[in-house]
Amino acid sequence: MWVQEARLPTAEPELYIPKPARILRVRKLTEYENLFDVAFCDGRLLDHAPGQFVQVSVLGIGECPISICSSPTRPGTFEMCIRRVGSVTNHIHRLGEGDILGIRGPLGHGFDVDELHGKDILIVAGGLGLAPVRSLIQYIIDERSRFGEFHILYGAREPKELLFKNDLTVWRERQDVNLHVTVDRPDEQWRGKAGVVTTLFKELPSLNPSETAAVVVGPPVMFKFVVLEVLSRRIPQSNVYCSLERRMKCGIGKCGHCQANNVYVCIDGPVFKYGQLKAMREAVE
Amino acid sequence: MLDRIIKQSDFMSVVRELSRQRRLVGPVAREDRYFYEVVDEPSKLDLSFNYCVYGPRAFLFPPTETLFTFDQRDGHFEAKPVLDNQPLAFVGVHPCDINAIRLLDHVFAEDHRDEHYLTRRENTLIVGIDCLKPCTEGVFCADMHGNEAKDGFDVMLYRLHEDNDEVVFGVVFGSKAGREWMLYSRACRTPTAMDEREFEEYQRMKAAAFPRRLKTQFEELPALLDRSYDSLLWEATARRCYSCGSCNLSCPTCYCFNIYDEVDMSLDSGARKREWDGCQLEGFAEVAGEHNFRPKTASRLRHRIYRKAKWILEQTGIPGCVGCARCDRACTAKINSVEIYNQLAEEV
Ligand SMILES: Cc1cc2nc3c(=O)[nH]c(=O)nc-3n(C[C@H](O)[C@H](O)[C@H](O)COP(=O)(O)OP(=O)(O)OC[C@H]3O[C@@H](n4cnc5c(N)ncnc54)[C@H](O)[C@@H]3O)c2cc1C
Ligand code: SF4
Ligand code: FES
Repeated sequence: MWVQEARLPTAEPELYIPKPARILRVRKLTEYENLFDVAFCDGRLLDHAPGQFVQVSVLGIGECPISICSSPTRPGTFEMCIRRVGSVTNHIHRLGEGDILGIRGPLGHGFDVDELHGKDILIVAGGLGLAPVRSLIQYIIDERSRFGEFHILYGAREPKELLFKNDLTVWRERQDVNLHVTVDRPDEQWRGKAGVVTTLFKELPSLNPSETAAVVVGPPVMFKFVVLEVLSRRIPQSNVYCSLERRMKCGIGKCGHCQANNVYVCIDGPVFKYGQLKAMREAVE
Repeated sequence: MLDRIIKQSDFMSVVRELSRQRRLVGPVAREDRYFYEVVDEPSKLDLSFNYCVYGPRAFLFPPTETLFTFDQRDGHFEAKPVLDNQPLAFVGVHPCDINAIRLLDHVFAEDHRDEHYLTRRENTLIVGIDCLKPCTEGVFCADMHGNEAKDGFDVMLYRLHEDNDEVVFGVVFGSKAGREWMLYSRACRTPTAMDEREFEEYQRMKAAAFPRRLKTQFEELPALLDRSYDSLLWEATARRCYSCGSCNLSCPTCYCFNIYDEVDMSLDSGARKREWDGCQLEGFAEVAGEHNFRPKTASRLRHRIYRKAKWILEQTGIPGCVGCARCDRACTAKINSVEIYNQLAEEV
C-alpha cells in the first residue's frame, strides 16, 4: 500500500517545555534585584557551565532568559539574580519560597573554563553584568589552585545598586582575590572609590598580558571603553571574553530574535571572544 | 531523466485517491489570484495557476500554533506538547516554494529538532509542478537557483505537451513514498526515448525562458554585501520603508517567531503559543528598558537583505531567498530587492 502511516515525532518532544523548579530561598539584593535559589522538583541537577543561562517561565505570563549566577561547583541548587523590569520579571518577584518556576536549560555557550585554566584572570563587570560572571567567580574561587592571579573590577551607578554585597565582603577579605569596586555617583556613606569602572584599571598591578584572560560583562555602553582599556594592557584579543544580551524568545536558535549580524546570541553565545565580535558590527557599535 | 509519463486526468484520479488519505493543499483561484488552500475536493485545484500570493509555509509552520498546554491548578505544574500529525499532501507547488521548504526543513531540524514543524513535515507529501517560464514579471528565481527543484519533493511534474486538450506530464520521483503513490495508478507509463528527447527540449526551452535580472551571481552576493555594510543605500531606501513587515509576511522562507502565553478564564490553565514575527517590525530587537538593538529602519532593512542573501546561505549552505519576488510585490513602498542588489553592485 502506498499510504504511509502517520509518522510519530522523532524530534525532541519537550524542546519548548519548561521543567518545574521550586524556589527554596529569596534574598533581596537591591530595590530591584532579588536572588532566587531554586532546585528542580524532580531532583535533577542543572549541570551547567559558568556563563550559561536558563529560560525562566511563569506559566500564563511568559518566559525570559536569566543567567545562572551560581557555580556548577556548588551543585544541588542554582541561583538567579533577577531584576524586575517587565511582565515576567515583576511576576517572579511576587513569588516566594515554595513557589514553582518553569526552567528550560541550561542554554547557550558559557565560558570555556578549560581554556582559562592556568591563566591569570581579570574580570570587569558593570551593573547587572556581575550576575552572569558571578558563576565564573565562584568557580575560580572553588578551583583556586587551577588559576593564577585573580583580579575583579566591579562598577555600579550608585552604592544602593551594588549587587551581592555579602559576596563582595567575602571576596575582598580573601588574600587570593584582588577586588576593586567603584560607583559612578557616591552618596554620603560611601567610603569606596568613585568613578566609572574604567578608572579602576589604575588599581591593577602590572599584568602578564599573554598569560591573562580578561572577561568583560556589562551594559552595551560600558563594553567598548572597557575593551579598549583591556587591549591597551596588551592582552591579546583571543584572550578577551564577553557576554552579550539580546532579546530572546526561543533560546535555541530558531526564532531569530537574538540575532546580531551573523550569529545567534542564544546558541553561539552569550559568551563570545572579542575576536569573534569584531566582525559583528552590531555587537560593538 | 523521467521516471513516468501521465495524463492530467489520470493524474487527477490518483490525487483523488490521495485525498482519501491526506488533507490536500494546493493552488485555488480566488477571483484573479491564486492561494494555496486546503481543498476538500481535488477538482478545486487549478494546476494551471501562475503563482500563489503566499508560499505554502503556513501549512507547515502556521501563523499561530500552540506549543504546549498547561495546567497549574492546586500547585500542579503540568505541560503537554501539542503536535499535529495529520497526513497532508501539497499538490501543485512550484520549485521556488519547494526550495523554500527545503530551507525550513534544515533550520527546524538543525541544532535542536523542532517537533512542531518536523511532525507536520514528516507527514507531508509534496507533489511539485515545474515552471517552464517565469510565473510573473519581476521574479529573479533563476538568479537565486530557486526555479529548479533538484530535491525536496516526493513527486515532480513537468508539463511536456498537450494531447487532445489534455496536459501530459513527465514525472520525476523524489522519494519512495512518491514513487509508491504514483505507481498506484496503472495509467502512468514508462517514458520512451521520444519522451526523454522532449524532456531535454523542455529543459532547453526553460533555460532560455528565464531572464537573469541580477548583475551579481548569487554565490557572489555574500561578498557584495560584505563590501556594502556602510552603503548609503540602506538609509536612502529605508526612507521609503514603512516598517510594516509585509515583506516578511509574504516571504516563503521567513521563519522568525514570537512566543506568548494565553490563559483561560480560570487563569490556571492555558497555552504557550508561537506566532509569526518579522524582523522589519520596529520592536523586533527591543529589550526591556527600551533599548533597541536595531532602532533604525535602515538597520532593519539591511538585516533582512543580509539574512536572505548572505547569513542564511553561509550558515546552512541553502539560499535564504528563492527569488520569488513576493516581498517586492507585497511592498507598498515599492522597495525592490533586485534593485537593491543591482545598485550595490554598481557602487563597488
Ligand atoms: C543571555 C541573557 C541573560 C540574562 N540574564 C539576566 C539576569 O541574570 N538577570 C536579569 O535580571 N536579567 C537578565 N537578562 C535580561 C532579562 O532577560 C530581561 O530583563 C527580561 O527578559 C525582561 O522580561 P520581562 O518579561 O520582565 O520584560 P518585558 O519588557 O515585559 O519583556 C517581554 C519579553 O521580551 C523579551 N525581552 C525583553 N527584554 C529582554 C532582554 N533584556 N533580554 C532578552 N529578552 C528580553 C523576553 O522574552 C521577555 O519575556 C538576561 C538576558 C539575556 C539575553
Ligand atoms: S514591505 Fe516594504 S515598506 Fe513594508 S517593511 Fe518591507 S520593505 Fe518596508
Ligand atoms: S532566542 Fe530565538 S534564535 Fe536566539
